[in-house]
Parts: sequence; C-alpha cells; structure tokens
Amino acid sequence: MTPKTSTPAPSLDDFLTASAALTGFDAFELHATGMAELYHDTAREQVGDAALGRLLDALAAAGGDPDGIADEIARDIARALAHTWYLGVWPQLAASVHTALGRQQANAAFTVSPEAYTEGLVWRTFHGHPAGAKPPGFGTWADPPPGAPAVARAGAGAPGLPGPRGGGA
Amino acid sequence: MSPAPRHGRGRYDVIVVGAGLSGSLIAKELGDKGWRVLVLEAGTGTLDGWPGHLDALDTFYGALAKVPNSPYRPNAAAPSPDVLDVTGLPAGGYRARGYFVQNGPLPYSTDYLRARGGTVLHWLGLTPRMHPEDFRTRRTYGYGRDWPLGYDDLEPHYRAAERALGVAGDAAEQAAAVGLPFPDGYVYPMHAIPRSYVDDVFAARLDGATVREAPGAPGTTLRVTGTPHARNSTPDRRYDGGRGYRPAGAAGLPNYGERCVGNASCVPICPVQAKYTPLKTQATWDRRRVRLLTHAVVGRVLADGNGRALGVEYQEYEDPAAPVATTRTAEADVVVLAAHAIENARLLLVSRLAGHSDQVGRNLMDHPVLLGWGLARHPVGPFRGPASTSGLESFRTGPARRERAPFRIEISNWGWGWPAGSPGSDVARLLGIGAGPAQPRAKGVFGARLRTALGEEIGRQVSVQFLMEQEAEERNRVTVDRRHPDRLGNPRPVITYDLSERVKRGMAAARSVSEEIFRLLGAEDRTAYEPGPLSPGYFRFEGRGFAFNGAGHGGGTHIMGASRGTSVVDAWQRCWDHPNLYAVGCGSMPSMGTSNPSLTMAALALRSSERIHRDLTEAHRPAAVGPLSPEPVGDGRTEGPA
Repeated sequence: MTPKTSTPAPSLDDFLTASAALTGFDAFELHATGMAELYHDTAREQVGDAALGRLLDALAAAGGDPDGIADEIARDIARALAHTWYLGVWPQLAASVHTALGRQQANAAFTVSPEAYTEGLVWRTFHGHPAGAKPPGFGTWADPPPGAPAVARAGAGAPGLPGPRGGGA
Repeated sequence: MSPAPRHGRGRYDVIVVGAGLSGSLIAKELGDKGWRVLVLEAGTGTLDGWPGHLDALDTFYGALAKVPNSPYRPNAAAPSPDVLDVTGLPAGGYRARGYFVQNGPLPYSTDYLRARGGTVLHWLGLTPRMHPEDFRTRRTYGYGRDWPLGYDDLEPHYRAAERALGVAGDAAEQAAAVGLPFPDGYVYPMHAIPRSYVDDVFAARLDGATVREAPGAPGTTLRVTGTPHARNSTPDRRYDGGRGYRPAGAAGLPNYGERCVGNASCVPICPVQAKYTPLKTQATWDRRRVRLLTHAVVGRVLADGNGRALGVEYQEYEDPAAPVATTRTAEADVVVLAAHAIENARLLLVSRLAGHSDQVGRNLMDHPVLLGWGLARHPVGPFRGPASTSGLESFRTGPARRERAPFRIEISNWGWGWPAGSPGSDVARLLGIGAGPAQPRAKGVFGARLRTALGEEIGRQVSVQFLMEQEAEERNRVTVDRRHPDRLGNPRPVITYDLSERVKRGMAAARSVSEEIFRLLGAEDRTAYEPGPLSPGYFRFEGRGFAFNGAGHGGGTHIMGASRGTSVVDAWQRCWDHPNLYAVGCGSMPSMGTSNPSLTMAALALRSSERIHRDLTEAHRPAAVGPLSPEPVGDGRTEGPA
C-alpha cells in the first residue's frame, strides 16, 4: 500500500514554533509544561504528517499570523492544537474536515493524559491554577487576584484568628 | 470440598447496608459500644487506600466532563446514576438513559455514588444546620410535612455531627445572620474557612442593600454570610471547653490533609482529603467489631411473618466490569438501611416491607437549583478555593414561605464552571468551535489575542446558585419494575419527578433576586435559560423560561412522621412496621429546608445509633470487651478481624 504522501514528519521544533503562534505562549513556556512531545505525537497520530505539515506551511505562508490561515483544513487543525494546549483535550474536528482528511479513528474528543489536564494553559490566562492540582495554599483565595482592587475584608479584626489571611495559625 | 464460607457466620448484632455517611457513623458508634456490626457495601473498596485515591484523582484529571461521579469508576454490579444520563431536547423536554428509568414531566438530574465512602466522597462539604422553622412548615406556613421532632431535639446531635465531620465555621455569625440557636458559648471545632475575594466583592456591594423579589413585595436586606464547612481549617482552641480539636487528615496517608490548601476541586474530589469523607470515620472503626464487606449488593431484606427483620440477602461479585454473583445471606438482630434515599426505597419496595402507609418511595425530593451568572467589572479570581465560602441567607425563612419555596443562595467561587462549563467552553467558543462537529465553525481567535481574551473574560466570571426547598409531594416517587433490571437482575429505580407551582414561584422570585444582585454588583448579567442538550431541566412558567439542575441532595423516600398511617419511619428512623429495621439518611426527612442536608443526615444517624444501642441493650448485653475470634475470610476484599 502506498502512503498518501511522502511528506517528512514535521519536527518538534517546527511544531512548537507553530504552537507558540497559536497559543500566545512562547516555546520555552510550552516546553516547560512537559507536554510538547506528547502533543506533537498526538497531532501526528490524529491528522497525519501531511495534514500537520499543511498547517505548518499555511502558518508560515501567513507570516506566522494564525489569522492569515485561509485553508479551512489547516485552520481546524490549528483550533485543535490550541484547544489541546489550553485544556489538555484533543477536540472533535469539524465534520467536514474529518471527512476530508479520511481519518481512520473516530472523531472523538479525549483528554490526552491526566497531566495534560493539569498542564492546561487556560488557568494561567487568569492567574489561576488547574482545579484539583497545584494548590496555592490555605486562604490564598481571599487575596485579590492581579489587577483587582482591594475591598474590605469581612470580619477584619475578628478576635482569635492569628496569622496570615485571618485564619492562619 | 467445603461450602463457600458464610460471611455472616454466627449472628451479627447489626447489619448496616451501605458504607456511606450514615452507615459509617452508625457502625462507628455501635462498634465502639461493643456491638458486632457487619457493613455490606454494594460498590467496590478501591478508593480507600492512598493508591486508590490517586487513581481516582487521575481518572478525574482525564475525564472530559468533570461531573461529580467522574473520578469514580463505573460498576455494572452496583450502577450509579450520573448527571450526564439526562440530556435536554431542542424544544424542551428531556431524554434519560443510564441507571434510572425516568417517566416524569421533569428530569431528576441528581446523582449518587455506590462505592465505599458513598456520595459524600464527592460532596462540596457545606454543613449549614436546618433552621428551626424548617421542621414545622405545615404548622407554621401551611405547606409540606412537619417533622415529628424539632430543632431542639436534634441540637445535641448537630453538635455531635459537627465533631464527627470536623466542621469549620463561625457559630456567632450563624446565630446572628441565620437565627440558629446554639448553646451559650458554642464554637465549631475549627475557625471559619476564610471567605473568598469573590465574597468580599459581593459583600462590598450587597451588605445592607435591600432587594424586592417582585414589584411591591416587602424588601429583604442582604448580608453575605460565611458558610460552615466540613473542611479542615485552623482548630479553635476554645472548642470543647478549651480542649480544642485535632483535625482528621487523609485516610491512608499519615500527617496529610489536615488543612485545606485550595485545590478548588472539592466536588468531585479533594486531592489532599482536607474535606470530610466517610473514609475518615471508617479509619476509626473498632476493627474487632466492625466488619466491612465490599462487592456485596443487598437485594432484599428478610423478615418473618411477624414483621421482624431477620437479616439480608446479598449478591457477592468479583469483577465490577463483568459481574457474576453468588447469593448469600447474613443475619442480625437489627438491620439498618443506609444505602441512599433512592436505594433504601428500592430495597423496601423489592422486599415488600414497611408498606402500611403507602409512602415508601414517595415524596422524593432534591434541592432544585437555579443558577445565575454574570461578568464583573474587574477580575475576581474565580476557580480558587472551595466552591462556595459564603451565601445569602435572607430568603430561607419568613412569611414569604406561605406563597413560594424558600431558597438559600450560594455565592460561587468557581466562575461559570457549573452554568456554562467554563473554562473549557470559553476556550472552545473563542476558537470558533461550536456545540458539535457538524455546526459551522467561526474563524476563531489565536495567539496573544486568545490568551488575553480568555484572561479578561474568565477572570471576571461570577455566579450564584439558588437552592430551592422542595416540599414533600406524594406524586414525586421511586418505584420498581422487574422489566427494568440491572446487570445482576436487581430492579432499577423508576423515577417520576416534577416541580410544584410553589417551587416554580420560588424560582421566579430567585430569578428576580438574581437580577438585583447583578445590578448591585454592577456586573453584566449573562444569565439565559434556553432549551437544548445541556438544559434537560428547561421549563416555562408564567411566560418565562427557566432551567434547573439537580443538587445531589436526594431525600424524602421513606419519610418520618408521627403516625404509622402516614409515614414510613418514626422519629428514630425506625420502620413503623418493623421494630428492628431502620431506614436512615435523607430519605427520612419530611422536609429538607434550604440547608445542604448532609449535616442533618449525620445528626439523625448519630441520634438513631443511640436508639439502636438501647434496642440491643434491652435484648441482651454487649459482647465482652476484647478481640473477637477470627472468622474465615474468603478473599482479600473482606475486612475485619484478622
């Protein structure tokens, strides 16, 4: 059987360059999630090297600006990659794209790995942490988040509550 | 060849069906008093050890929908209902699949968990007491059913439950803001969980403000009030007459989980186990006397011709994925059903017991939840800390109850997680991904613009949850039908459920209050109720659309009352028709008020254990103190005397 294309496998570096453009996080930050290789492998498995290469080429042709991606197949793969980086979840592709790619696997969403969830970028966009992991510590939820004004604390000056944030020991 | 070992060798003093909150507390109390207790748990015990806990955590991380049952593996032998079982139809109405068979006008979207530890493994952990008037709404306001006991009868057991669960809270604030009577000088075991920045934002704008739930209605003054939690905080050295309190840490890992660290995933799983679960109580069981058998699905209660319960018949299985069961029996002087309101009713119905009043399975309740959500003007730090640390308590009591259901308002700390599936839905929406693969996709936003837009939108998400009281109605009920069996041949629950006009009027009032809250906050109200797959609880009322959710607060299926003719159990949760058969839990509650019910359930269980102890003592003396003789153990899952 002849492969559909003889496209060389897109390299991890090229994948990360594209991922940085799609996510708004730089390659160093993406590497630091520990997910780069897993997502690179996942994308290749899900859409194949040819389609992944098509996205990378389209992005390069648009000068690295995802808004310039005109090809709808490339754009939907771009959506899937950004979705995966932000949430750890590979999403369903558009039905038309799924058909056009002739994918053999089901068009199903899945969490790439348990760590993929906890490394999701979305939590960082609002100075949060993944729900259920990387806990910031007792009482931290009482502090204003970055960019928020201070407001009066409830029970300020309440007796018997020594320590930080009114409840520490 | 010898016959299969009989786990019920000899007689037990008590059989407890279900290793959840009520069952674990009762087993603890009776075991400590010297009674031999057999606890039969239908689900698996894979969650009890630390490796099992970590596996559940990974399952949660990997779940696409982080619903309450998502960390816990499906079990074909003891299936659990799931909130994902119910989906809405495009023009309203719903479709149900899964464990429940549903045939009511509206869906029952509340779940529970059949596993060692029970549904309280995934509870939020809020422990408000019920208000004194919640126990007598019929006498006071002319609706619902009254309890055969009052707040004062239960008050000592509330304190015992607050000790058993380890409650953090501010009793003085509860007394002042909610009107709860406490004994003089009472403090909770631990200082209040600090309230969130979200709470502070609400308080700055809402405290002292007056809102009207309808034009011309009397004004109600708002006050942001901290909620008691069964969650480890800072111990209060004043507790227990100055003896203080030692928080109970994780079950299975020493010196861990003795304080909440803000994982923000109480529902469905606290990674450090700073939140109470029944596994903590089980860790303190006297194992010489309390014996736990998991993978044991009780199918019916055995009784003699005079109505005395003799024991139970149960099916023991090996593999939860492909169950093959062996039927066994166990006998005891007292049988306690503690399997969840719906499972208790199902067992009584299958066993054809306790039916004199025709109330078994009837009066099914929940706290139907209406959600409101909006965008604040500045970042509020959503998805931090416990799901809710404060509420607005002014709509729980008072004469408005004559006309509409009362409600408790929880201020959410988790953005639009419940109402809109944030933050995942926000990412998908900004990328142009719609509801499904067939829906045309928008161009989408990428890169720095995506990152910035997500931060600006998610960071400002606020929401409020209105927990409506649902009064006892006989038409809301659980029945069984042999034509709908589960994999082991046990009949599945058939649910018929609806909301009364009273509840719907409460929701209409809540919607008005919700609008007032967002107006006072200066937040953009983004609340919208539309029919669709994610809104199985959509309905129209007085020209407006509403969508409600289940709270996971199933109750009312074997209600207690003052007479045998109108109720299933007496004030001790003892079946009127069967003096040695108890049905315990939220199923016994004739009304649930607006309080998250687990604390009240725990108080009732502790109260019943006192009665069971007296029953047993009257029958015979406790077993001699000292190790019991070992019993043959068939496999590694059986726990008990070694």
